[in-house]
Amino acid sequence: MNLLQYQPGESFLHKLNPVTKLLAVFLYCVACIISDSIFVELGLIFLMLIICFFAGLGKRALSLTKNLLILGGMMFILQLLFVRTGTPLLKIGSLCIFTTGGVFSALLLSCRIIATMLPMMLLFAITQMTDLCGAMVKRLHIPYRYAFIVTTAFRFVPLFTSEFHDIEDAQKARGVEYDTKNIFKKIGLVVPLVVPLLMSSLKKVDAGAMSAEVRGFNLRTVRSGYRDYPFAAGDGVCIALTVVLIIISALL
Amino acid sequence: MIQFEDFSFRYKSSEAFALQGISMTIENGAFVGIIGNSGAGKSTLTYTLSGIIPHHFDGDFYGSVKVNGLDTVEVKPEKLAQFVGEVFQDIDSQMVSSIVEDEILFGMENFGVPHDEIGRRLDSVLDMLGIRDLKDRQISSLSGGQKQKVAIAAILAMDPEIIVLDEPTGELDPASSIMIFDILRRLNREFGKTVIVVEQKIMLLCEYVDRLLVMDAGKIVFDGRSEEIVQQVPLFKNLGINVPRVVELGQQLTAAGLYHGAIPLDLDQAEKMVKEVLADAGV
Ligand SMILES: Nc1ncnc2c1ncn2[C@@H]1O[C@H](COP(=O)(O)OP(=O)(O)OP(=O)(O)O)[C@@H](O)[C@H]1O
Ligand SMILES: [Mg+2]
Repeated sequence: MNLLQYQPGESFLHKLNPVTKLLAVFLYCVACIISDSIFVELGLIFLMLIICFFAGLGKRALSLTKNLLILGGMMFILQLLFVRTGTPLLKIGSLCIFTTGGVFSALLLSCRIIATMLPMMLLFAITQMTDLCGAMVKRLHIPYRYAFIVTTAFRFVPLFTSEFHDIEDAQKARGVEYDTKNIFKKIGLVVPLVVPLLMSSLKKVDAGAMSAEVRGFNLRTVRSGYRDYPFAAGDGVCIALTVVLIIISALL
Repeated sequence: MIQFEDFSFRYKSSEAFALQGISMTIENGAFVGIIGNSGAGKSTLTYTLSGIIPHHFDGDFYGSVKVNGLDTVEVKPEKLAQFVGEVFQDIDSQMVSSIVEDEILFGMENFGVPHDEIGRRLDSVLDMLGIRDLKDRQISSLSGGQKQKVAIAAILAMDPEIIVLDEPTGELDPASSIMIFDILRRLNREFGKTVIVVEQKIMLLCEYVDRLLVMDAGKIVFDGRSEEIVQQVPLFKNLGINVPRVVELGQQLTAAGLYHGAIPLDLDQAEKMVKEVLADAGV
């Protein structure tokens, strides 16, 4: 399953204004970044999971967390090997492998990464890209042109991957071995596919631009959008709560 | 009204002319069908109507094309888009949204159609094409035929005076193809829309269009009423385009001296012919 894919629903999270969702995620991330306490980071991860469970997104949030744990683990090892403060914890001969300061900052960093990435990725689970862009045009007066480019880019990601798999299948049918474990060999096999893929994608983008042009794309103004994306009381509450969260994490 | 005056076009990257020496007029309210082999220039001809040629495709442009009196070289495509709506041949790449409803809204939003009018038109095209249940679906999850209906709905929602469709039934089953042509006929007869449709199914063209253009190698080799194709069977044979089987049958029966009436063009007429022949034979 695509981790960034939209998951339709009617929950209180889904119903928030897209601009609110974006701002709330941003504030949530700020709370994660300003905190220097591992417990606060863990608390923020836990809080996010609970909110998701109530919004019916529990499964999705857990599988995201699992994926993020891998990233967190990698960052943990890197940080562990590079931070040299505190007293040495593991030594081989006279060579110090890691220190107490390293363990602390590595734990903090990997928790912080998980805590910030989780809400960002959940944003895509509860928001259609078109709604996000539409609301930013309507409410924040972002030029429609940019919003259109972003939605188009997102639209092309699945097209691109499915086309890539088609080509890969065709190559496999001709007896090319893709299941090789050797990463260099794999790269050597994939690179020749990228060029024709890019060419055909560029052609598609061009045809899309043509279609947009003859349907009056250049006439678009902020006021012509059909959907209104009004703010409601829930949006205010949501933002207020995230601000409180920032204050708490700054104080603790 | 659309006027071609000694129009020729050659794509920048190619040696041969894609269209050559086109001179014709298409009156308002006409229902025109275009048929021809692959590479004959049918799509290129449709591009000239929406201004994509010369504004999007570079090349050598000779003569003139005027749509509602506007020279397509001089006005921008968005100006032409106010009269001309075009459904392109490549269904996938003409989509601009990820959701069906957004795709249909796109043109109307761009033109600043008033809010309640948008809602009305949206409902009307969804019902007209029978795709109401697809409204909230991801376009990437639709079948080819469903996408084709969405593409047509998106153009009809813009309510253009001139509707151009490039092989709109390519992905559709026979029943849906007939549905599309019924819609086009209604738009043509009830609302006076000019309809120009590229179509490979000769039977549909014979039944629905008033005027048929046959293209070959960048030229219009036949331009007339669809009934006239009865006299053009050799031309069609030469180009490898199938004439309706009922026409062939009618000609064979006439040649055999069994039938003396008008050559049938559709199934109803064919049925009458066969009944007549059988009655004459005393069956
Ligand atoms: N973008 C382009 N650049 C260069 N040559 C082109 C381009 N598009 C079409 N042609 C050429 O112009 C000629 C007419 O093409 P066109 O697409 O109009 O044919 P068509 O009748 O629509 O064919 P089909 O039935 O396959 O859709 C062909 O020889 C084609 O190779
Ligand atoms: Mg074509």
